[in-house]
Amino acid sequence: MNLAYLWGIFLGSLHAMVPITLTATGEVIGESAGLFNIGLEGIILLSAMTGALGAEAAGPSVGFLVGLGTGFAIGLIFGLVCTYFKGVQLIAGVGINLFSAGLVTFWLIHLGVPGHHAVAEESQMVNISTRYGDFSPMIFVAIALPVLIYILLFRTKLGLKIRAAGENPQAADVAGINIHLLRLLSTAAGASLAGLAGAYISVNWLGSVTKEISAGRGFIALATVVFSGLNPLLVLLGGFIFGFFDNLAVWVATMPAVQKVIPWQFVAMAPYAVTLLVVTGVIGRARFPAAMGIPYKRE
Amino acid sequence: MKQKSDQVEGKDDIILAGKGLCKGFPGVWEHLILDHIDIDVKAGEIHALLGENGAGKTVIANCLSGFYTLSEGQIYVKGKPVTLKSPRDGIRHGIGMVHQELALVKPFTVAQNIALGLPTSDLSFPLPEVENRVRQLSENYRLYIDPLARVEDLSAGEQQRAEIIKVLYHDPEILILDEPTSLISTDAEHLFEALNSMATMGYGILFITHKIEEALEIGDRVTILRLGKSMGTRETAKTDKTELVKLMFGEHTPVQLERKPVKSNNIVLDVKNLEALAADEEPALQGVSFSIREGEILGFAGISGNGQSELAEVITGMRRATKGQVIIHGKDYTNHAPREIIRAGVAHIPEKRRAMGVIEPMTAAENVVLKDIRVPPFSKGSFLNKSQITRHTKEIVSRFGALVSDLWKSQTRILSGGNIQRLILGRETWRMPRCLVAVYPTQGLDAKAIDHTWELFMRLREEGSSILLVSEDLDEIMALSDRIAVMSKGRIVGIFEGGEAKREQIGLMIATGASKA
Repeated sequence: MNLAYLWGIFLGSLHAMVPITLTATGEVIGESAGLFNIGLEGIILLSAMTGALGAEAAGPSVGFLVGLGTGFAIGLIFGLVCTYFKGVQLIAGVGINLFSAGLVTFWLIHLGVPGHHAVAEESQMVNISTRYGDFSPMIFVAIALPVLIYILLFRTKLGLKIRAAGENPQAADVAGINIHLLRLLSTAAGASLAGLAGAYISVNWLGSVTKEISAGRGFIALATVVFSGLNPLLVLLGGFIFGFFDNLAVWVATMPAVQKVIPWQFVAMAPYAVTLLVVTGVIGRARFPAAMGIPYKRE
Repeated sequence: MKQKSDQVEGKDDIILAGKGLCKGFPGVWEHLILDHIDIDVKAGEIHALLGENGAGKTVIANCLSGFYTLSEGQIYVKGKPVTLKSPRDGIRHGIGMVHQELALVKPFTVAQNIALGLPTSDLSFPLPEVENRVRQLSENYRLYIDPLARVEDLSAGEQQRAEIIKVLYHDPEILILDEPTSLISTDAEHLFEALNSMATMGYGILFITHKIEEALEIGDRVTILRLGKSMGTRETAKTDKTELVKLMFGEHTPVQLERKPVKSNNIVLDVKNLEALAADEEPALQGVSFSIREGEILGFAGISGNGQSELAEVITGMRRATKGQVIIHGKDYTNHAPREIIRAGVAHIPEKRRAMGVIEPMTAAENVVLKDIRVPPFSKGSFLNKSQITRHTKEIVSRFGALVSDLWKSQTRILSGGNIQRLILGRETWRMPRCLVAVYPTQGLDAKAIDHTWELFMRLREEGSSILLVSEDLDEIMALSDRIAVMSKGRIVGIFEGGEAKREQIGLMIATGASKA
């Protein structure tokens, strides 16, 4: 009984880990190249919406692709603004968040029920059933991807180039690297993972879209990136920790015994409070690329 | 025209040439950064490019290596016209440049920095190969460097070697070095040996410097730049220092500093028994007393770190005095706010020009009026009067010869240290201050700018300003000061009349810190 309980929490944590790990892994790529995207929250939200529509139109796999593509498209716009047009990254990112929040709210009204849209059962991605429980296929993606990105960043020349663009773009430019293009593609690749995370939430994990479906996971992903110090392997660990508390909060909050004593809203605060604690503990110790957040100008 | 025919004769040897190179940054007035420059580098020669700060040397180098794009003109590699749009194009045409501000990623190793620029596949990981090749190049050119060392752990000289190896890795035929000795003043011989042997191997080398002796020592030919214009090319064997000085600075006679004795007995700045702590809470000033009269320059000689910086800071209100008094024109200003001290007529040329002298992310115009922003005509009510500020800044910029591309657009951060100092000098002296506290005012300026500054100080003195001059340069102290104070360990160990001051005696006192007998 007890063991089954613990296993249930673990399984839930794995599912809650997926969107944070995917998003944070993507952001590690972008931040390594020197672009800081605070608009992840908006990308998750919008991709949850577009992913759901894609899934309903042509099946769950298409839904995932649409989410991925949505993230990539927004990442491209964000990247263009912040590289070739030398825009302020913070403002561009905030813009994404505001745009998505507005568009999704409007779209939900348009679909019929304001604030909520359930994805039909047959359009959702099917979990893999084993005798140990149901696993989303995305769990395996979320575990494998940080490892792959780690290899990319630290064991290939492309990784060297990406990190050089974030650390000393002038030096990278002198080495013949196209800084703007590299930064643009890095941040767009990163944003597409946030898009994948959004589609996972609506098409697979929660099976619905609400106007707050992202629930701060984009910001928690940013915190996870800080926690990791731009190491994708630590993103995996950080993602699991945050996923665990995310899941624990839901689980505790729905226990009748607890509900009588503590309002569930209070318990739901846990993942955010933990985020705050972890980030304050880590920040200042982690080293970030010297040129992160600064637009590159040659002359 | 004679030069042209010379070039035709040696045409086969020329591997890099620029004809009519022009570069004008937006908004620059008075002159182009580069004004129709012709330059060529032959295989097997070291061609020195000589000019003072702001002459355009670095800009030429950046254009020839593809880092900047030309406004006009044509670059030829081995006689063929080429267009360089990026450093990658430069590398492809065999042009390698060693930048003054080294282009290395600090947290990376030497090998990683080199791997970065290789044309291999993005998914490859060429590090082991790079490490071997670096060891080999190190050996061949006797530029020893550990490929596995992290750049941030290396000394300036080692970083420069790493940078040169990085450029050599691409097998260039032409090597451009931008002020390579500015980082490694003590280890230049080693670099010169390496460059000479490279020239023997057939490389064409463009060596940029502002030091005449260096150009003569290392160069086979030397091209002289002045304010963006070429003053001609000479063979170093057929020229000498005198001619080069003339070409670099124009017909220029060193300043004759004439002085009349100090007329007035009015004391402007009176410092009594001043004590203060340094940043580390150790006593920095231990009972300093002196006074400066109207129209007098008091020079503070001594090795830096003996309390001179703290003294200047206490007088200008930036550091608390723990004891003693600072009296300006008879009024006690001890531990008053800097703003009140500025109002009392004290101008300050601070020691750290980038940190204390200007606000780097702000523009030249903003920095020039920084202290006068509250007074008409620069502001009306709460609003800035932009046209007045522009006019005023233009005047200061042109009077002091500062090279600023756009008064209202470029951040002060991108200006050279010398140009920043010109702006500060202009800002602090245009009102003819009653009292000027100048800390290392000519550090990092070229010879001509130093002369200008000295003349300016003498003019201020004639007008009745009192100047407290802190300098490590004994020549400067001797040339300017009416009296000379020597500081050691927070105390004045001796004050000399300018006339009686004996160089040796002062030098000895600075070295030993002993009091005047």
